[in-house]
Amino acid sequence: MDFNWTEEQAAFRAQIREVLARTLPENWEHIAHGPASKEQTVFAKKICADLAEAGLLVPHWPSEWGGRDADPWEAFILAEEMWMAGEPRGGQYMNVNWIGPILMLFGSELQKETHIMPMAKGQTLWCQGFSEPESGSDLASLRTRAVKNGDTYTINGQKIWTSYAGDADTCFLLARTSDGKNGISIFLVPMDTPGITVRDIPSIIGEGDIHEVFFDDVQVHEKWRLGEEGQAWEIIGQVLSLERVGIPRFSLASKTLKDAVSLLKKEGRFTGAAIDQAAKAHAACEAARWYSYFIIDKRAKKIQAGPEASVGRFSTVICERLVSEFVVEHVPEAISGVHPMLLAHHQRGIVAGVASGAAEIQLNIIATQFLELPREPR
Amino acid sequence: MDLQLNEDQLAVADAIDKLAEDFSSSPVDFHGFALVSPELDAALEEGGYFEIAAVPEMGAVSAAASTTRLAQLPYTAEVALSMLVRPHLDIELPRPFGVIENGRPGRFVPQAKTLIIIDGDNVGIAHPQEGDVEALPESLFAYPMGKLVGTPEVKQLDAETAKTVKTWMRVALAAEVAGLMQAALDSTVEHVSVRKQFGRPIGTFQALRHRLAECAVLTGGVRWLALKAAFSGDAGDAALAALHAQDSATRLIYDMHQMSGAMGMTLEMDLHLWTYRMKALLSELGGRGGQSQVVADECFADA
Ligand SMILES: Cc1cc2nc3c(=O)[nH]c(=O)nc-3n(C[C@H](O)[C@H](O)[C@H](O)COP(=O)(O)OP(=O)(O)OC[C@H]3O[C@@H](n4cnc5c(N)ncnc54)[C@H](O)[C@@H]3O)c2cc1C
Repeated sequence: MDFNWTEEQAAFRAQIREVLARTLPENWEHIAHGPASKEQTVFAKKICADLAEAGLLVPHWPSEWGGRDADPWEAFILAEEMWMAGEPRGGQYMNVNWIGPILMLFGSELQKETHIMPMAKGQTLWCQGFSEPESGSDLASLRTRAVKNGDTYTINGQKIWTSYAGDADTCFLLARTSDGKNGISIFLVPMDTPGITVRDIPSIIGEGDIHEVFFDDVQVHEKWRLGEEGQAWEIIGQVLSLERVGIPRFSLASKTLKDAVSLLKKEGRFTGAAIDQAAKAHAACEAARWYSYFIIDKRAKKIQAGPEASVGRFSTVICERLVSEFVVEHVPEAISGVHPMLLAHHQRGIVAGVASGAAEIQLNIIATQFLELPREPR
Repeated sequence: MDLQLNEDQLAVADAIDKLAEDFSSSPVDFHGFALVSPELDAALEEGGYFEIAAVPEMGAVSAAASTTRLAQLPYTAEVALSMLVRPHLDIELPRPFGVIENGRPGRFVPQAKTLIIIDGDNVGIAHPQEGDVEALPESLFAYPMGKLVGTPEVKQLDAETAKTVKTWMRVALAAEVAGLMQAALDSTVEHVSVRKQFGRPIGTFQALRHRLAECAVLTGGVRWLALKAAFSGDAGDAALAALHAQDSATRLIYDMHQMSGAMGMTLEMDLHLWTYRMKALLSELGGRGGQSQVVADECFADA
């Protein structure tokens, strides 16, 4: 075992920090509030193009698709640095982490030709149309329907909580083509298709992040169906494992904790219970970090991680919670906007146990697949 | 970065696994508090396992992984301190080691050839003579416990050596707790998978499943923090690992006993052999408050 970064890995991290220091504007702290503010989304388009130019958008993609076959470690180091900086790439991380890779695996020639290079160049934004008002954790119960007439599907239904839908060019949409879990199909739908309406949902986590998306007789040609009819469950099974240890949340949580402690120290308030809670939160951040690294190490060695991804994910939920609670109790002025980066963390941190699969669902997976407990009756 | 054991470390892990086989189940007629195995101690001594931390190809990571593995056995021997503290000192000290912290009874004190004596910030070393220590066989803690009754000569360590001792004691504690948590968890998972109430295994009730799953998450975290601290030997890493170990174990012990019902209170079930070793370790080195202070000093120094 070796817990040190290689020289190349350290140099890669330094390069990213240098590019960020050069590229992020003076008022970045104020832009960074909320995960998907308009200001940030506009800025993301610009910085993603710059990053692509510098070879820092999709280094882990195959060279055929604009990458340089960098290993999963570099992809993760990149994700860490971006997330720690307040995710200047905005919604782009979804393309980079899983939409692009999934298209490479399951896309038709036309779909790959159309969609992958614009992602690699940072020119396009996608959104993920999975959740519905009646289908959250129980995703397989979704009702949005795609009915085929000749070579075209007519899609009707509603999605909700869709991040970046207001600015996205394309939707990675799940819709039902027949009954049951194996009756769900994936469609790559341009967001300017007639019949799509997007409505912003005001939230604690900042303006412009989550949306409702309505589909009224939306026409989609079958050539934009990804994979076979009914193959969605199999395909997104692969997505979710990339997504679960996708965002290195411990990196920003850990930095936020240090920043909060630093503020307290300046004011002579880093004493007593603050010390105990900060230490506990720090330990949780490091536990999440090393468990996540362990999974990335497996990924780099092409060893299947399986339900361990849910263990990593839940570790991250714990660390986000402890850091958020620490800030609320000891640096409450942050929540009123006095420290924009601490607020930005708060808004990202509070969703850790809900977005991309609720924490309790991870516990169900750990219980059944990791501990191999007898299954719950259905 | 490479988070898989290397070839030499794997070879050690395999050998330890093999050695552990003979000690993997408690004797049916055992109904005591501490299940001590001189045979396990002798086998480890003979195999040279107390020296592996000093072998560059294996290092403290291998010693920590071995400590974790051996802590999963129902049998106990003075493994952790000998494997992780002893090799990091410049002075040759005879094993086994015992610990006396702030005058309280400590683990392995009755058979210790070397006592680590902690009084606040001071750390001393003593070699007890006949009559200096007294065994406490009634202690519920599942280590051989003992107290100091005589006044053996105590050699105070300089501040730097004292810090080294405490750092490696923290690593040893975390590595051991990682194994104890794993064993208690495994034992409870087995119990709830078999025990039926209301017509189904109690392990099918989500109220228990989620707590077990959370304990599995905590166990994984303690294991990684212990390995990282063993690798770096850093005082801050060691304190983080010990803190996470004591904090996580506190919760896990309660949950595991709760789910084991009345059976978990008996000396028939092995559960207490792990939980009452953990309980003995919860207060060591100042407990959570003690570790937190070190984390504050070491990890937040530049904050
Ligand atoms: C910031 C944010 C961004 C998001 N972005 C997107 C997006 O871009 N695209 C998209 O499709 N979705 C998105 N989501 C939705 C997200 O995937 C869902 O919120 C998530 O799957 C949980 O569903 P839910 O909110 O309906 O909660 P519910 O499923 O109603 O769950 C509520 C509570 O019940 C618990 N629960 C549910 N089922 C069980 C069970 N079987 N056992 C035990 N407990 C259970 C949950 O764990 C949770 O605690 C986003 C959510 C957030 C917060």
